[in-house]
Amino acid sequence: MTFAIAAFQAQGAHSVHDPVSRQALRIHQLGEAMYVTAAVVFVLVVAALLWSALRRHRMPADQQRSNRSISTAVLLATAATTVVLFVFLILDLSVGRAITTNPGKGAIQIRVTGHQWWWEVQYRDSLPQNWATTANEIHVPVGRPVVLELRSADVIHSLWPPNLNGKRDLIPGDENSLWFQADSPGVYRAQCAEFCGHQHAKMSLLIVAEAPESFSAWLSRQRDTALTPTDSVARRGQEVFLGSTCVMCHAIAGTPAGSRIGPDLTHLASRRTIAAGTLPNTRGNLAGWIINPQAIKPGVRMPPNRLGSDDLQALLTYLETLE
Amino acid sequence: MSTANVDVSSLPTTTFSHRSLAWWGTLGFMVVEGTTLFIAVVAYFYLSRNYQTWPPEHIVQPSLLWPTVQVVLLLASLVPTVLADRAAYRIDLVKLRQWLFVTLVFELASVAVRWQEFLSLNVRWDTNAYGSSAWTLVGFHTTLLLADVIETAVLIALLFSKRRLDRHYSDATDVTFYWYFLVATWIPIYVIVYLGPRFM
Amino acid sequence: MTETSVSSRVDPAADERLHQELERTWHERTGFWGWLTSVDHKSIGKRYIVTAFAFFILGGLNAALMRAQLARPENTLVGPDLYNQLFSVHGTTMMFLFAVPMMTAMGIYFVPLMVGARNIAYPRLNAYGYYVYLIGGILLYAGLFTNTGPEAGWFNYVPLAGPEFSPGKRSDVYAQTVTFTEIAAIIGAVEIIVTIFKHRAPGMSLGRMPLFVWAQLVTAFMILFAMPWVATASLMLAMDRLIATHFFNPAEGGDTLLWQHLFWFFGHPEVYIIFVPALGMVSQIVSAATRREIFGYPVMVLALVMTGFLGFGLWVHHMFATGVPQLGQSFFTAASMMIAIPSGVQIFCWIATIWAARPRFTVPFLFVLGFVVLFIIGGFTGVMIASVSYDQQVHDTYFIVAHLHYVLLGGAVTPLFGAFYFWFPKITGRMLSEALGRCHFALFFLGVNLTFFPMHQLGLEGMTRRVYTYLAETGWGDLNLLATIGAATIALSVALFLVNVARSLAAGEVSGDNPWDGETLDWGTSSPPPSYNFLHIPVVQGRSALWSRTPDKPVVTGLRTDMHEVLVTTLMDARPDSRHLHPRSTVMPLLAALATGVTFITLIFTPWGLPVGGALMTAAFVAWAWPDRESYEEQRLQESS
Repeated sequence: MTFAIAAFQAQGAHSVHDPVSRQALRIHQLGEAMYVTAAVVFVLVVAALLWSALRRHRMPADQQRSNRSISTAVLLATAATTVVLFVFLILDLSVGRAITTNPGKGAIQIRVTGHQWWWEVQYRDSLPQNWATTANEIHVPVGRPVVLELRSADVIHSLWPPNLNGKRDLIPGDENSLWFQADSPGVYRAQCAEFCGHQHAKMSLLIVAEAPESFSAWLSRQRDTALTPTDSVARRGQEVFLGSTCVMCHAIAGTPAGSRIGPDLTHLASRRTIAAGTLPNTRGNLAGWIINPQAIKPGVRMPPNRLGSDDLQALLTYLETLE
Repeated sequence: MSTANVDVSSLPTTTFSHRSLAWWGTLGFMVVEGTTLFIAVVAYFYLSRNYQTWPPEHIVQPSLLWPTVQVVLLLASLVPTVLADRAAYRIDLVKLRQWLFVTLVFELASVAVRWQEFLSLNVRWDTNAYGSSAWTLVGFHTTLLLADVIETAVLIALLFSKRRLDRHYSDATDVTFYWYFLVATWIPIYVIVYLGPRFM
Repeated sequence: MTETSVSSRVDPAADERLHQELERTWHERTGFWGWLTSVDHKSIGKRYIVTAFAFFILGGLNAALMRAQLARPENTLVGPDLYNQLFSVHGTTMMFLFAVPMMTAMGIYFVPLMVGARNIAYPRLNAYGYYVYLIGGILLYAGLFTNTGPEAGWFNYVPLAGPEFSPGKRSDVYAQTVTFTEIAAIIGAVEIIVTIFKHRAPGMSLGRMPLFVWAQLVTAFMILFAMPWVATASLMLAMDRLIATHFFNPAEGGDTLLWQHLFWFFGHPEVYIIFVPALGMVSQIVSAATRREIFGYPVMVLALVMTGFLGFGLWVHHMFATGVPQLGQSFFTAASMMIAIPSGVQIFCWIATIWAARPRFTVPFLFVLGFVVLFIIGGFTGVMIASVSYDQQVHDTYFIVAHLHYVLLGGAVTPLFGAFYFWFPKITGRMLSEALGRCHFALFFLGVNLTFFPMHQLGLEGMTRRVYTYLAETGWGDLNLLATIGAATIALSVALFLVNVARSLAAGEVSGDNPWDGETLDWGTSSPPPSYNFLHIPVVQGRSALWSRTPDKPVVTGLRTDMHEVLVTTLMDARPDSRHLHPRSTVMPLLAALATGVTFITLIFTPWGLPVGGALMTAAFVAWAWPDRESYEEQRLQESS
């Protein structure tokens, strides 16, 4: 009846079984230890139960009542239970301490603000012109601690990157933080883990852990404003963008569009997914999303957009220039 | 081990205090309502942590005149209540009616003063969390107060009516018991809501 | 009548006369009106049990739809809005409309019988409590069927459920459903406590009470201290939404976490309120199956009491991801692990009882075996998630869904089904089919494991809770399909149970008074019990009331048989203390419940509900308290006797 966990080990970009940070590793080891102990105790207790129920011998009731060895057995079992629980407690306290000790200076600080149903990401700096704002995707350098400062713009959300650490809630009116250190490169998926309304199911975040050099390159590109497109179709696309309701919610640095209601699109083309991890960022998916987001994420705040076919193609070409 | 039958035919039919079932029901309500008042107090203090000052800036401290009048009134009301209680235990119908009536008058006065106490909070329930929690604490006690006024009035009516029974003497002691509860729970609320902001 | 019944041994003709008198006095008026105005705990208890089971079915149907939607990735069977209502109503139904009311209902039916009383304390209040509960349940489903069902989860977190992010009345429907069910639960608790304290048969000292009764007592106290927290929270939420208070509005000094603290201070004891009565049921079933007292009675009682107390010290473990201070968290980890100890002790004592007793493998006993297996699994995952670090990984994932269903379905519903097979004969006079029962058990046990074991893995693989769908590339599809097949298996098993019930009601084997050779007083009267419960109130001579009766079978004499006169005894030793008159059937509780319903339903829409409804409720309760002529005459007569 007890399946071996090994049989179900998922190689996943979002699995507790696949730790890539020391935090997640310690937690994983703790989990394994508890699981194995639990399995052993389970077998022992169920065996005792079945053996007791099935054995043929019957002892008279008053003899059983005063039987010393039965009392002793119950006492020993209780004592053993208490000891096991104490061991778990000690293990938990030690893992807890290990994963929450201060990451110290030199940690990269990233502010993440939860919205219904997307993640606003901001890399701050002592110089405001070096701030970089993006959405739904975080890049981190391998081997350096990262602190996520968690806020919410509306309701309670929760950020959960299983490969990297446990979760932490984003609570309006409150400030939380979560830190981790990725020890191997990869793309890891984080999910919103506190029910936040209609599209809670489709609110994911990608965490890209990469070598420090590629991280720096990525960050400096994110800090740049968008270049005015040279291609005529793309320029037409920019006009479509600036002339339609897009600018009510979306910002593109380097253009007059500066609204913070929806995700910042300055570097949209550099992101792997759209709609908070719901779809791969391809031209076709983007087209479908722009025309009718409600078909993909019903209830989302973005309205459908009537665009002529030429306008749409131009817009897509423009958006593809936003690396 | 042989046991004889037990004959209960001569046991009393009217009992007081913990021997009476109605007393236990009254106690049950006190436990639940007392817990609820406690929860409202907990919320009050929990929310106060969200502010630098208490009451919050721009809110005037609660005035003390009417709330203090209320405390005096309530403590004074204990006199007729105790006398009514004793009359009930003595099965003295005349005195019981009389002192219960006086208690009722005090209860009504208390309700009238309670109106002023709400105004003395110097804040509306919808201004901020301070107002919300202060009004709720006072408000919840008020619903219990109103319920007790009705209970007392109905019992007095029964004592004057043709439907008077022996059990009503016992019920009277439950009404006085509940009144003690209301007075006792008001004191800490007065201290927390009206005096507290001067020290927090 | 069998050897262990509580009839007098003296004179069959006298017994027959007594039976006629008591029947005349205690019998219910027939017909619909008689049923509506009943104050008999058995009648109210039966309808309470049936209603709670109906909500179990409804909650199960919610779950069936959810599982159908989740069986395949990106399924389009149910959209997000309906799905969110479904999971919210599923949780609200199971927790507020099924689990607690069912345990209360079993107490309402069986506690008076087990302590040797003719009725429950406060018979009219009992009826009132049931009707208020029924109104609450109807409100919730009226909401769901008019697209106004709660949609923010059974835990209804703010700010999502607050005025800003939940427009409309859905969250208010939730708040008032909670109000109704909480009133009913508290009433049930008060009656059960007073019945146990003051109506026990002479000789049944506290140390001689059946473990089922102890479990009900502990649970009732937990209800008294836990329910006010959720009632206050839902009241504050209703006020934030209706009259613009700011309890949960951070912009005006309110606090989002205040809701969570208030809710979970209730929410954690709530699960023990559901679980502890089941422990009492297991003890009675094991004792009958082994024909001996449970090993270690004092320790068993202590374990129940400790579970009750400790249950109040765990609530922050539902909030480990919110950023509460670390030192505090560790306390809750320790407490959450320690509560496993009393549960463990109980299991060890049951095993000790079973050992060397050659139990009879009746269907109730099978369910007990299933319970131990399922509950240990749930208990162990519970200990794992007591760890803050581990919980921060699996909190709000399907790992928790797995845990909670193992402990609730395994720890409470499995014993409950066992209890149904055990006590169906007492309630109806007929046995359920053992053969169908075994199939039911096997399918149910298989179904629960098939549905919920894969969910542990799903959670560890990243599947969060309360999601209406998931992407195909997550790889979660196969295990979800397996879980859905499991859910269908559970549904099939429950259907089998219903078939069993229907067949037995129509033509089941007649059970007799005590088919299982049980030890408690309920087995000492006919099946079903007569309207007056016991021909003679017994004098209890030992812990197993029936097994310890001496051949001379002492009983209580001297209670009036021409009116509903009952015996009141002292708290500790159950010495006879006074005679009390219970009311006869009356419509007042129903009227008062309707007034209560009008009040709180109107409060969903306007604050005027309070004064208007308050006036209605006052009128109803004053009419209730004012004795009518008949009642007055009867009480006068009794008081002068």
